[in-house]
Order: sequence, then structure tokens, then C-alpha cells
Amino acid sequence: MKLGLLLCAALLAGCATQPAPPGSIVAAERLSTVVVAGRTTKAELLAAFGPTKSVRFDSGYEAWVYQSPAGGGQFSEFVVLIDPSGVVGKTRTRAPSTQ
Amino acid sequence: MGSVLMAASFCLPLRATGQNTVTVKSTRDPVDKSYRKMIRGMERFERERAFAPNATLRFQLLPRLPSTDMRGITLRIAGDTVSVPVPVDENNFFVLPRHAQALQEDAAVLASRKTASMTWRARIESPGLPDGTRRLGDLRLECRVGKEAGLVSNSSPLFGWISDALNTPEGVCTSPDGNYLFFAERPIFAVTLRAGERVETLPFNMLYAGGDQTPDMLPFCDCQALLDRTYYVPLWDASWPDDTLVEFEYMVDAPGGVAP
Repeated sequence: MKLGLLLCAALLAGCATQPAPPGSIVAAERLSTVVVAGRTTKAELLAAFGPTKSVRFDSGYEAWVYQSPAGGGQFSEFVVLIDPSGVVGKTRTRAPSTQ
Repeated sequence: MGSVLMAASFCLPLRATGQNTVTVKSTRDPVDKSYRKMIRGMERFERERAFAPNATLRFQLLPRLPSTDMRGITLRIAGDTVSVPVPVDENNFFVLPRHAQALQEDAAVLASRKTASMTWRARIESPGLPDGTRRLGDLRLECRVGKEAGLVSNSSPLFGWISDALNTPEGVCTSPDGNYLFFAERPIFAVTLRAGERVETLPFNMLYAGGDQTPDMLPFCDCQALLDRTYYVPLWDASWPDDTLVEFEYMVDAPGGVAP
């Protein structure tokens, strides 16, 4: 019985938790101006845009994602790959879904 | 399940005197794979070849812990009286042979590693695909075969209780919430679907197990050691045909621009 109550409490707590933010909202023009692969550092990203949704891997690489307003209430995704030395290695932009 | 049994055992009345002794001759690690289930997965592959008419089926062993040594793994089918070695190639792929006696004895498929240190997947590949791509129909069938064969080793008892009702091949492989994890050959930066003129890059939340795994959650995911290779694809979305190509951009480009 106690176990069941604990499970219910855990489930309810899970339902009450807000999902992780999908990433800071930054204008696409600012991202393309500030972020340069091979040059921009993680510290510079933080200084320019603040923290955003990110994933850190055991390899030392990190993937950071930003959202840019794309009109009509939609957002494009800007993803930054930071290499283990703390420098942006790659970037990519994903247009809003067509569906 | 182990937690359920443990919890249930707390509820049993203890005998203060004359304790009974139960001798267990052997036990199977619950993460060891059932030979019967894996054969059922192979039978499902044959039944549902329409997803991937020219493809072949193999199984693959993958690391579940960063410390797992994946070199020199041996594998065998082990029943009460039979022990059948199964060759494993250098990339840890293998083909499971059919063995009537092992089926009858409800054998297990055992690897020479601690079971919690690895995870397993079906690998279904159509021939002639460009390097750095997979085919969506192959992945659709991989999901069905993998679930039928009982290969996924996510281990949280809580998640297990919740998901059991949905944890059928149909529940997982035809639902947007099925969350069947695939692993690319190398760490990925982007995954793009291509079907004729239609091209769409998957959103960030379909990479890296959703991108929401915290250090506390990660040990329960069989993606723990492969997080940077992990992706979902829209198996459920019939608007993408089986011939859709799934293209990978890797974190690190292959030397000389040659895809591995």
C-alpha cells in the first residue's frame, strides 16, 4: 500500500514538473553575427546569449540549441557544437517543420 | 521486476524458528536474452519483410557503460543440456542460428560480459545505400524485431512499471511516444530525412535521447555510453515512405571527406 502511494506520488510529481526549456530565444541575425565556427568560444556564447539548453557528452563535446523567431509563431533551431577545447566547431540551422 | 519481488518479500511473514532453506541450482540474469524471444524476433523479420524487402538481419552488441571493453566478446546459446557457440564479428554483429533443442530448453543467449554492461539491437540493412545513411523502412523493422526479441535494456523499475502496458512492438514502433532509440555509427551532429524532393532535418529533441537526460537518469537508459550517437526517427509517420533515406552529419568529419 505504501509502495503504491509512493508510486502515485512519484507519478504526480513527474506530471507537475515543467519540461526543460527548448533553448533560449535569440534572433537569427544575432546568432549568425556572433557565432563563427572555429573561432567563437563557449565563454563568448554565454556572455552574448546566456545559458541555453545543452547536452554535454563524455567525449567533452557539447551541443547547445537556440530558438529564433521565424514568423507565424514558429521558430527555427540553431544548434552549436562546441569541441572539447571550448571552441565552436560547427553550427547548423533547422527551419521550422513544414507539417 | 526485481524491486517488486523485493518489496513483496518484505510483506511475507518471517518464521522466527525453523527457517526453511530453498536451494536454487541456477538463476538467469534477467538481462540475459531469451533465445525463444530472439527467434520470435527473427520470425517477425520474415513476416514483415515488406518494410525492407531486400534487407538482411543481424544482431549487435553495444556498450552500455563507458568502461565496457567491447573487444573479444564471445557469445553462446545456453540451455539445460546444450551450449552452442555463436560467432561474433569484430564489430560485434552476429547472426543467431536456429537450434531445436535450445528452443525446447528455453535457452538463454549469453555473452562473455556482465549483462548490465551491454545493450543489444537488431540491425536490418538494405544493400546499396549511400555511406552515412540508413533507410527508414529498415529502421521500422528494426524496432519491431528489437522489441519482439526483447533486446532493449533500459533498467529503471519505475519506468518499467509505467511503460509495460505500452511496451509492445506495436505500442513502441507506431506511436510518437514510443521513443525507440537508434544508435549511429559515430557521434552525430544532425540527422536529416530525405524522400524525393522532401527534405527535413530532425529537431534537436530527436537527438541525444531527447536531450533531457540528466546524470541521475542516464544510468537507467541503455544509451548511457552512446548518448552522442543516439537518435529517434518518426517511425510512426506514414507520410515518410519506407524508402526515405536517413542521412547523418557527424560531429567529426571523416578524414579526407570520406564517409566511414
